[in-house]
Amino acid sequence: MTPMNPNPNRLEDRLRQALRREEPPDRFAASVLNRVAQNSIARDAQKQSWLSVFSQPLVRWAAFTFVSICLIAEGLHYRNQQHERAQGETAKQQLMLALRIAGSKLQLAKEKVNEINTNRPESQPGNRTPRSRS
Amino acid sequence: MSKVTRRLFPIILLLAAPALRAQDLKLPPDIANLSSKAKETVEVNMDGPMLHWASKFLSREDPDEKQAAKLVENLKGIYVRSYEFTEEGSYTQADVEALRSQFKSPTWSRVVGVRSEHDGENVDVFFRMENDKMAGIVVIAAEPKELTFVNIVGPLEIDQLSDLGGEFGIPRVKTKPLSSKSMAKASKGEQK
Repeated sequence: MTPMNPNPNRLEDRLRQALRREEPPDRFAASVLNRVAQNSIARDAQKQSWLSVFSQPLVRWAAFTFVSICLIAEGLHYRNQQHERAQGETAKQQLMLALRIAGSKLQLAKEKVNEINTNRPESQPGNRTPRSRS
Repeated sequence: MSKVTRRLFPIILLLAAPALRAQDLKLPPDIANLSSKAKETVEVNMDGPMLHWASKFLSREDPDEKQAAKLVENLKGIYVRSYEFTEEGSYTQADVEALRSQFKSPTWSRVVGVRSEHDGENVDVFFRMENDKMAGIVVIAAEPKELTFVNIVGPLEIDQLSDLGGEFGIPRVKTKPLSSKSMAKASKGEQK
């Protein structure tokens, strides 16, 4: 059997004392703000350290040269492609012209042969020669 | 490779060389110089690699270009010389005969030979046959004010040839199609 609390009001007092509102120390708010500021400064410093690579003139020139070379190479590649395309178009035009001429001259040959075939008088039924049948 | 074959190989190459060179037809100098007299000159020299490269630029949507791509697929070369003159008699028949004489070898068959007295239009078509297949065609068209020489090197089917004559905006003649045999017969008939 547990002994009964001789004074219940005393427990209540102790609880009240434990849960009573306590004012923060005077510099609490300032120290929290200060710590937040320190964290953001550290983050900024980290960023700056990465970009600081480019603060060196040699690195800056190297980066500039690299970008310039890339741009020039891309420009040359594009120009070559354009040049090749123009040459290809010219070659295509030449090919089409050659085929047109070849086609027209073959057509002329066909026309002439057809003319000969149509103008040739039909031979008599009893007097057929291999030539007249052609 | 046996020793005998190895020794014979250069000789075989030497013997084969004239056959290979037969593709390189040469224009007589008088004809090659006609460009100075001509009002308009067309010179096209396209060998195999050039043809295949040019055919890459042919559109697959345009019907003419699609047809052209199909035609040049297996060709080894197209060579064209066309001279247009302002006056008649700018070239001589001897010039044309010098050109024709190059095709009097057994490898070439003259399938069409038209001589027209009234309009002066003379056309010759020669086929080069290899293993019963067409390996080349030469067209010589001598008109009063125009002289054209076309040399197509490579395998070309008769139906492709017919397409070549009727496509590219040139109206097709509405007659029954001519086979190479009937063309040859007509040629023989003309020559008689």
